[in-house]
Amino acid sequence: MSHSLPPQIIYLVDDDISVREALGDLLESAGFEVGRFGSAEDFLAEWRPEMAGCLLLDVRLPGLSGLQLQTRLAEASRSIPIVIMTAHGDVPMVRKALKAGAIDFLSKPFQDDELLRAVEQALAVDRARRQSEALMSSIAARYDTLSDRERQVMELVTEGMMNKEIADELHLSLNTVKVYRKQVMDKMHADSLAELVRMRGKLGTKHADQP
Amino acid sequence: MMEYVVKPTAIAVVFVLLALLWTFPLLHLFAYPFVFLFLAAVMCSAWFGGLISGMIAAALSSCIVAFFFMPPIFSLSIAQEYRSYESAFIVCAVAVTAVSVARKRAEAAIRSSRDALDARVTERTAELERSNSEIRGRERQLRLLTEAIPQQIWRTDKDGSIEYANRDLLDFTGLHDLSGGAFFEIFHPEDRLIVTGGWQEARLNKTKFECKARVRGGDGDYRWFLIRANPQCDEDGAVQCWYGVHIDVEDQERAQQELLLSQERLSRYSRTLSMAEMAASIAHQLNQPLTALLTDANACRRWLQANPPNLERAEHSAERIVRDTANASEVVKRVRSLFSRADYVREWTDLNELIREFARLLRDEAIRRNIAIKLDLSNTLQPICADRVQIQQVLLNLAVNGMDAMAESETDRFLEISTKELQPKQALVTVRDYGVGVTPEASTRMFEPFFTTKPGGMGMGLAMCRTIVEEHDGRIWVEILNPGTAFHLTLHERD
Repeated sequence: MSHSLPPQIIYLVDDDISVREALGDLLESAGFEVGRFGSAEDFLAEWRPEMAGCLLLDVRLPGLSGLQLQTRLAEASRSIPIVIMTAHGDVPMVRKALKAGAIDFLSKPFQDDELLRAVEQALAVDRARRQSEALMSSIAARYDTLSDRERQVMELVTEGMMNKEIADELHLSLNTVKVYRKQVMDKMHADSLAELVRMRGKLGTKHADQP
Repeated sequence: MMEYVVKPTAIAVVFVLLALLWTFPLLHLFAYPFVFLFLAAVMCSAWFGGLISGMIAAALSSCIVAFFFMPPIFSLSIAQEYRSYESAFIVCAVAVTAVSVARKRAEAAIRSSRDALDARVTERTAELERSNSEIRGRERQLRLLTEAIPQQIWRTDKDGSIEYANRDLLDFTGLHDLSGGAFFEIFHPEDRLIVTGGWQEARLNKTKFECKARVRGGDGDYRWFLIRANPQCDEDGAVQCWYGVHIDVEDQERAQQELLLSQERLSRYSRTLSMAEMAASIAHQLNQPLTALLTDANACRRWLQANPPNLERAEHSAERIVRDTANASEVVKRVRSLFSRADYVREWTDLNELIREFARLLRDEAIRRNIAIKLDLSNTLQPICADRVQIQQVLLNLAVNGMDAMAESETDRFLEISTKELQPKQALVTVRDYGVGVTPEASTRMFEPFFTTKPGGMGMGLAMCRTIVEEHDGRIWVEILNPGTAFHLTLHERD
C-alpha cells in the first residue's frame, strides 16, 4: 500500500556556529533539508513528533546536554533517530548515548561520507518506523469500524477456531458466523486469514481486551 | 673553798714533805745547805696545784729551809752570812712558781685550744659524712632517675666525647662504650654527615644542637630519633659539658612519610586528572574548528561537483574555510598563552644556598625512595640572576628523573648535585644519577615536548627545563655516563 510520507528533515543541534553552518551546508549539498538549532532547548521548542527526519546532536551543549535531550525525548515517548557527535572521543558518553538508543556516533572531525552514511541510516530507521506506525494506525482505524459481535468473531477466528466451534461458543448459527466472518474480512481489508492474523498481532493486547 | 685552799695546800704539803725527806739523806754531801729539791717541790706544786699551791709551797719551803738547814739549825732565825742565801732561795722559789704557773697556763691554753680543735674536727667530720651520705643518696636517686627514665640520655666532657650514657641508650644500641668516635657510628651512614656537621656547628657556636637521624639498634635495625643537646657553660662562657637526649620519633616519622606518600599520590592523581581535563578541553577547542574546516572543504567540493556546479554555494563554503582557519589559529594562540608565564621574579640569588634549600626539600622524598643526596658545591660562585622557583622546578625535574632512573638499582643509589665555576662568569650545575641511563637516540630528542620514555609520562618535564634555562640565557644538555646520566646546565653569574 502507498502512503504519502512527510518530507524528512535533518535536525542539527550544535552550539558552535561555524560547525553548524558547515554541517548544514554540507547536508544541503547532499540534497537534504536541514533544521539548525544552537541548543537543545531551541530544538525542543520547535520540534513536533509528526515531523519526520533524524537528529544530529552534539554531546556537549550549553544548558541541556545532548544526553539529557535524548533522555527527555525517550521519556516523552517522542521517538526520533539520533546520531551523536563528540569532539572528545569521550568513550563513556558515547557508550551511554548508544545504550539509550542512538543510531550511530561521529567523532569530530569526520569526513562527509561518514556523516552522510550515518544520517541516511538514521533517516531509513525513521522512515521504517513511520511506515509501520502509519500501517498500524490504518489497521486500528479499520478495527474501530467493527461491531462488538464482529470483533468477537475476529478474535476467535484469529485464535484458529473453526466456524462450527465459533457458532457453538457464541450461541449463533453457522451461517450467521459465516456472514460475520465475511464482514470482518471486508472491513479489515484482509485478503486472507493469514493477513487477518497479522493485523490482529499488530493491534496487540490493547484492542484485544476490549469487549 | 675546797678548790682554792684545801687542794693547793695538800699538794704543796705533799711535795714539800717529799723534798724534805729526800734532802736529809743528801745533806751531808754538800757544804752549803742543800735547798734545790725544795725548788723542785715548789715547781711541782705550782705545776700541779696552780699559783696558790706554788705560793704555799714557796712559803712552806722557805720556813722549813730556814728552820732545818740554815744555821742556827732548828730555829727560824738565820745567821747573818746565810741571810742572802735564804733571800736568794725565796726569790728563786717565787720565780719558779711564777714561771711554772705561766708555763702551766700556756700549756693548759694550748691543750684546751687543741681539744676545742679536736672537737671541732670531729664535729666537722661527722657533718661532712652526713652531707656526703646525703649527696650519695641524691646522686643515687639522680642516677636511678637517669637510668630509669624511658629516654636515651648522654653527657660529654668539654671536648665533646661521651663520658656518660644512660642504660636506655646503651641497651638500645647494644654497646658498652660510646666515647670517642664510637658515638657517631650508631647513626645511619646517610645521616652521619648531617649529625657530625650539625654537632660541629653547635660546638663551634656553643648553641643548642638538634637534628633528626636514624640510630642503629642492637638488633641492627634503624629507628628515627630526634637528637637534641644543650651545652653547659661556666661563668666565663666556656663549655663544661654537653647534655644530650635521643627521642624516638620512628612512629611519627613513619606516619608522616605515609602521609607524604598519600599526599603525593593524591596530588599526582589530581595532576593527571587536571592534565587530562585540560587535554580534553584543548582537544575539544581544536576539534570544533577542525570539524568546521573539514566539513566546509567537503561541502565546497560537493557544490563544485554538482551538475551543474553551484559556484555561489561553493564560494560561500570557501569563505567559511578562511574564517574558520582564523578561528583555529585563535584557539592555538589561547592554548599557548595558557602555558606561558609572564610574571617572572628575577633576583640575585646564591645558587649554592638555593641548592641546599632544594636538597632539604627533597630529603624526605629521597629517604622514602632510599636514595642518598650528595652535594658538592663550589665556594667561589658569584650570585646569579634567576627566578628561584623556576630554577628549583628545573632541579626538581632533573632530580625526580634521576631518582626514577635509580628506582630499580640495587647499589649506588646516589643523586649528586654539584656546582662549579665556569669561565667566563658562568655557573655550572650538574645533576648526576647512577641509574639505568639513556640511549644516545633518546638523548638527542629528550628535550623535545611530548618525548618520553616513561610509561604514563607526559614528555613535558625536560622540555619545560630547557625553556626555563633558555629564558635565563643558559644552556642545558645531557651527558651519558657509565653508569647513569648527568644533566648540566649553565647560568650567568653577576659581572
